[in-house]
Amino acid sequence: MNLKRLNAKLLQALFCSVLAILLPASAMGAEENITVMNPAIAGKLAKRVPLSPRLDTLQGKTIYMVDNQWGGPEGAYQLFEEMQVWFAENMPSVKTILRRTEGNMFTDDPALWKEISEKGDAAIIGTGQ
Amino acid sequence: MSAVSRHARSVEELGVPTVATAGINIVNYALDYDFKYSNGMPIRYVAFPFPIAGQPRSVHKEYVAGKDQLTGQPVMTAIVDALTTPLTDKEKMTDTASSAQAETEPRFLAPDTEENLRHLFKDKEWTDYNPIILPTEERVSEMLTGTSHKPDEVINTIRFMPGNRELTVEKVAIAAVMAGAKPEYMPLLLAIATRAPFGNSTTSMANTIIVNGPIRKELGMNSGTNAMGPYNDANSVAGRFFTLISKTAGDYRNNVNAWESLGSNLQYNSVTIAENEEKLPEGWEPLHVQMGFKPEDSVVTIGTGWSYISSLGETQPAYPAHMLIRDYLRSLSAYGSGATIYVDPTTASLLKDVNGFETKLKLSEWLSENVEKTVASYWGNGVIMTSNMAMAFQGLEPYASWQKMSRDALIKPFNNPKAINVVVVGGSIQTTWFATDFRLNPGVRVDDWR
Repeated sequence: MNLKRLNAKLLQALFCSVLAILLPASAMGAEENITVMNPAIAGKLAKRVPLSPRLDTLQGKTIYMVDNQWGGPEGAYQLFEEMQVWFAENMPSVKTILRRTEGNMFTDDPALWKEISEKGDAAIIGTGQ
Repeated sequence: MSAVSRHARSVEELGVPTVATAGINIVNYALDYDFKYSNGMPIRYVAFPFPIAGQPRSVHKEYVAGKDQLTGQPVMTAIVDALTTPLTDKEKMTDTASSAQAETEPRFLAPDTEENLRHLFKDKEWTDYNPIILPTEERVSEMLTGTSHKPDEVINTIRFMPGNRELTVEKVAIAAVMAGAKPEYMPLLLAIATRAPFGNSTTSMANTIIVNGPIRKELGMNSGTNAMGPYNDANSVAGRFFTLISKTAGDYRNNVNAWESLGSNLQYNSVTIAENEEKLPEGWEPLHVQMGFKPEDSVVTIGTGWSYISSLGETQPAYPAHMLIRDYLRSLSAYGSGATIYVDPTTASLLKDVNGFETKLKLSEWLSENVEKTVASYWGNGVIMTSNMAMAFQGLEPYASWQKMSRDALIKPFNNPKAINVVVVGGSIQTTWFATDFRLNPGVRVDDWR
């Protein structure tokens, strides 16, 4: 680099330093903070509900197995049948009753829930999804 | 509320200890978002690998003999434990004893640089990952000049996703700014927002937005050439707005509560168009008039579906449009008998003048009567199977009969012609059309939001 170019560079650096002292930060390219509105909406939390007490043992108890048909009436049915096989082989004193809900996954089945509460001790409720 | 958690809770509330089982995807959602905003009961779950439905018995046998995807212990041990292990203190908690503080969202975000705020909007999943206009108070105030409605008016409580989020006029204006809207778009956007959020399902849903009446011209919407493409401000912005308001007000977040397996590219713009009312053949009514609105009403109609098939080329006289539309509809699910056919004005004229369909309804009735598919194909669709087979078991017709027929028997699944909608749109450049499975909701009067 020749002397002429070196001097030019030094002058340029000096000029920039003076500008940095005199001008506000925004004019030098530093970003200012801005305030914007929040697009999100607070969700309402669900009311907490406790579980019902558990059983001491399943021996001698009746377990309802319910396929709620999400995935179709065959979606999870075999899965429950295989669970029935397991109980028969491993906990033969457990009585299992396998049912499908009356409606589809979107609907409730209060008649079945009532039957379970009157005749069952526990429930396994599942889906093919 | 997740179907399995809702049913388990119903039985638990009657005092019966219950364990819920599902694939790991559903269980993760149920334990997190569903519990927090919807169910509130700490249901005990045992999770299987996904998928369950569609697997042979041998796989289900392996699942039962295998590990619980949540705890890693044997599935049946986990089930027995879930029914017999005493409750923890957390599982006994009632609302007064255990509720977390109610969620709040401040009206303004903390001040930051524009660059950082842009990152924040993306990190929060409030955008479609294309650039947005940041919603300063000044911009939102200007947007609110486009409607007479007060900023704090609640126009829609979002229940599609749990959380009962109350969508106000101001939140609509914020999303409108983000989408790049003009204030005069506000009545249309508010009407659209009453139907937010868009469809969200594991099945990868899509939507359409159809605008009728004078508002089309007021906003300069495109109902002609390239109406469905990226060639018009109002069409583009209104469609994008539906995406942004669905994500912000609907709180859609990937793999948290938005779990569409493949997703849908149509969610970027939701097939937003105006009907070409000026080019309707004589006797063919605009969509909103078919729905019972007056011609001078401005109306937006939003539909939900999945699929969108193009005719590709021009109509052939030896096999006219209605026949090819019939063939294409065979490949759609016929869920709710729903279909929306978009036809170019030239196709509409051919259908009327050459093929004799004097009204849109005549075409819909012909399609309802002539689209046939096999019983096996109909029930082979998972959405149809999940929603309609239970009705068949209850003896409801025609599903009960269709369930009993042989697999090769032909049925007419689009059994409600009024659910087959015809919309005229396009620039008379080519005699083309699109067949879709969008089911249209009742229209919303835009004029009510001026």
